[in-house]
Amino acid sequence: MISDLIRHDQITRKWTVVLLLSILVCSIPTQIHSQIQRFPKPEFESGHVVPTPTTPHPRQDIYEYIDVAVLIIALSTASYLALKKRSRNGIFMLSLFSLLYFGSWRKGCVCAIGSIQNISLALFDRTYVIPITVIAFFTIPLLFTLFFGRTFCAAVCPLGAIQDVVILKPVKVAAWLQKVLGFIPHIYLGLAVLLAAYGADFIICRYDPFVGLFRFDASFLMLLFGAVLLIGGIFVARPYCRFLCPYGLILNWISRLSKHHVTITPTDCIQCRLCEDSCPFGAILPPTPEKAPEARSVEHKRLAILLALLPVLIIGGACLGSLLHTPLSQIHNTVQLAERVRLEELGKIQDTVIESETFQQSGKPVEQLYGEAALIKNRFIKGSTYLGGFIGLVFGTTLIGLSIRRKRRDYTPDRGTCLSCGRCFAYCPVGKKESKEDEK
Amino acid sequence: MNQKSEETRDRKKFGYQIARSVAVVSGIFMLIFSILVLANYFQTKTTDPLNSPALETLMGQMEERPDDQALKEQIRALDLLARKAYFTTQWQIRTGGYLIFGSFIVFIVSLRIMGHMKSKLPVVGEKPVNVWESAGLTRKRMAITGFSMAIISILIVILSHSELEEIQFRIDEVMDEAGLTDSAYPNDEILRQNWPGFRGPYGTGIASFDNVPTEWDGPSGQNVLWKTEIPLHGMNSPIRWDNRLFVSGADETRRQVYCYDTDTSEMLWQRDVLDVPGSTDEIPEVSYDTGYAAPTMTTDGERVFAIFANGDLVCFDFEGNQIWAISLGIPQNIYGYSSSLIIYQNRLIVLFDQETGGYLYAFNTQSGRMEWQTSRENMMTWASPICVNTGNRFEIIINANPAVASYDPSTGRVLWSIEGMTVDAAPSVAYADGWAYAVNEYAFLWAIKLEDPPQIGWENIDYLSEISSPVANEKFLFVATSYGDLICFDAKTGDRYWVESFDHGFYSSPILVQDKVYVMDYEGVMQICYADVEYRPISHLELGEASFCIPAFDDNRIFIRGDTHLYCIGHEDE
Ligand code: SF4
Repeated sequence: MISDLIRHDQITRKWTVVLLLSILVCSIPTQIHSQIQRFPKPEFESGHVVPTPTTPHPRQDIYEYIDVAVLIIALSTASYLALKKRSRNGIFMLSLFSLLYFGSWRKGCVCAIGSIQNISLALFDRTYVIPITVIAFFTIPLLFTLFFGRTFCAAVCPLGAIQDVVILKPVKVAAWLQKVLGFIPHIYLGLAVLLAAYGADFIICRYDPFVGLFRFDASFLMLLFGAVLLIGGIFVARPYCRFLCPYGLILNWISRLSKHHVTITPTDCIQCRLCEDSCPFGAILPPTPEKAPEARSVEHKRLAILLALLPVLIIGGACLGSLLHTPLSQIHNTVQLAERVRLEELGKIQDTVIESETFQQSGKPVEQLYGEAALIKNRFIKGSTYLGGFIGLVFGTTLIGLSIRRKRRDYTPDRGTCLSCGRCFAYCPVGKKESKEDEK
Repeated sequence: MNQKSEETRDRKKFGYQIARSVAVVSGIFMLIFSILVLANYFQTKTTDPLNSPALETLMGQMEERPDDQALKEQIRALDLLARKAYFTTQWQIRTGGYLIFGSFIVFIVSLRIMGHMKSKLPVVGEKPVNVWESAGLTRKRMAITGFSMAIISILIVILSHSELEEIQFRIDEVMDEAGLTDSAYPNDEILRQNWPGFRGPYGTGIASFDNVPTEWDGPSGQNVLWKTEIPLHGMNSPIRWDNRLFVSGADETRRQVYCYDTDTSEMLWQRDVLDVPGSTDEIPEVSYDTGYAAPTMTTDGERVFAIFANGDLVCFDFEGNQIWAISLGIPQNIYGYSSSLIIYQNRLIVLFDQETGGYLYAFNTQSGRMEWQTSRENMMTWASPICVNTGNRFEIIINANPAVASYDPSTGRVLWSIEGMTVDAAPSVAYADGWAYAVNEYAFLWAIKLEDPPQIGWENIDYLSEISSPVANEKFLFVATSYGDLICFDAKTGDRYWVESFDHGFYSSPILVQDKVYVMDYEGVMQICYADVEYRPISHLELGEASFCIPAFDDNRIFIRGDTHLYCIGHEDE
């Protein structure tokens, strides 16, 4: 036995050496390449001819339709694997495929998450023509969720897939913290819709942490953000999906109404508690205790207070939101430019930036710029009021939801937050027994 | 059996150790490269190789010795070196990124293998989580979070600052300099001497001119002082300020504004509407009856304003310089946008009703800055706003489905609204002596007494106009229908004095000129009669081409836009 271990140890060491050597060998071309870089190509030295710019052809239409077809097939397969086949391996393999297809090959665009912005812009700006494929990418996952739960998150979304593969040592996030952090997507969604609707920015795309990895091209800070999320994702499972993704939030709402949904056990729960900690996303709801912690009257009183407080929260949120219209409108390029030009005009800043220089050269009257900025700011008053009201509403309904006592006998997935990943299947002895019997 | 399981365990252990070694190596590799890339990145951030002090010193010397070849070579060499250094750093960061990513993949895969080789059995805790206790805790923490968020928001509000907030003063200053303070707005007398917009001053269809021609013949040229072709088609009516006449025209791609001399017919300027921020090339869907330039322009005596079917709103000065422009977006309107512009003091009022989400806007006439906007929850409207003094205040009154409504022109606040109007609203409101009149074909003719609160004084459903707007004075209300009837009502009681039927229908609106009613049918025949309790015709005058527009009036003259020409009708003998 000991000799075996020694032998293993020797082999391990040998493998380590081999591995180190291979990494070195792999980096040789890099070194050669870097030497080439140090002595640039001759045309760089002198007489460099600037190549004529060319416009690459847009992706052919047919490919866009292929993407939609792949999306539908992937969603159907994911739903089948999660609900019918109950195969975690299948779901994992499909998510790898989605990562390669929608992520690496399609470079993360068009994506369902970003499509929220296109839809918002199309609703508010009638001059914007929204591509049909974007509508498809927005609506098809919603439809599947309405029938089968969040199978899109489980195996089709490339952003979900890239985070799923790094879940190695998931730690349990406290339920209260999970709820508090789960508030962020509401703010992110509201902001994204507001900013897209007023043509200010597509923040979901701008701050997509993984698209830079798919394309190997992003600002350093975004790459760093992606890397932090991936490394953090080793311990806190799918941080983007749970605590940021605005599309995931919409799917969360719809999934609560879904006709079918994955279950931990294929038949009856035997209360073995084996699945209790199996979900890395904290999406398993345990049975409720027999004994209520408080008297009914106390609960009813609290509920009544919270219900009465709801309009106050909405109105309060709306008022706060409307007050925030100035900083929010300053995200818009035109308002930013107007502010900058105004600062320069007042002599509060001496230097100029390329944007203000371009504006001055355009000969456009400064009053017109201010007028446009004022128009945008005015729009933001309404938009930020709605945003504030929405946040107040979400806050109020969350508190109300936490105050309603619902009885539960079995361990069940939370239909909203469950990503249908299928990890918990293997933990259920009933399910295991059934699949063994099926195999037989 | 036992030996087999032992072998499996050994194999698993071996696999685990290999995976662990790979994970360690790739992890170290990843860490080293991450540190190198980060260091490289921050170095590039802090030093700008392309603006090195050495290079700048040499450039300074170059200014003193411009012909020094050796110096030039030195600068070139240094510049090249700096660029090489810059691009090499960039390349290093990128390559480092690839390597980190590659090693990260290896790291993750080996960790997964490790996990697979050493899978643990689930551990069952002592007792299940008490969800109700947990909910209570969550509720408390949520409340704290909400409170903190509110505090943070308030802090952001306090700390945020906008330089644009002070612009109001600046614009007011500019206006003062330009003599455009309140007192400088054209007064009632000046407005009545001109024809500043759709249906004249205030949009009520009342002209106060003397000696307006009652005889002409377009085909023979009798009393036609001049006639000139308009370059682009448009359903908008001419407007006049002193001796300048303005019309607009448009097709699918072009939008133009024309300025004519009323005395000579000379086109003083013609301008394309260009550089409209936010405008797109998208062509709005319009019906032929509406076209691309249906809304009538308006003027404040210094500037003219035009809006087109694609929502492009533009301001020119009287010399034809484009002052400002803004795109309101393509309105959702099945027949095409047609509401005309009107001015109140320094506010340009734009009714932008559409299928959903319409607005009433007020833009600063000088800067184009939006003064206010009021959302309108009604159907599409083709009618135009009127802006009248109803006794002790000015009101913008709009006929629409489902409500006839009034707005404060200073703030956009709704003053009153009467619901119940139906079908497509194209005729604008008539106003006289404290009464407003709104009509829609297949709906009602409402005479609204503007008391507090306003109420319907009388109603008629027999004679309703489809497009033509009614006109009223203290005694009479005239309605011209698209099937060719001209009806005279008692303005206060709704009693019908007379109905006169003509061969052709009316799209243009009747105008009251002193004691006479002028109304043009769609074949271009002007019907003139007295505003009286009996129908007393004065003349039926042919233009020689179809006309759907409302003429612009002046002492001794009328300006009529035909389908393709602009006419000046006067008294030849004078
Ligand atoms: S399927 Fe199971 S493990 Fe996966 S998210 Fe849902 S509850 Fe959690």
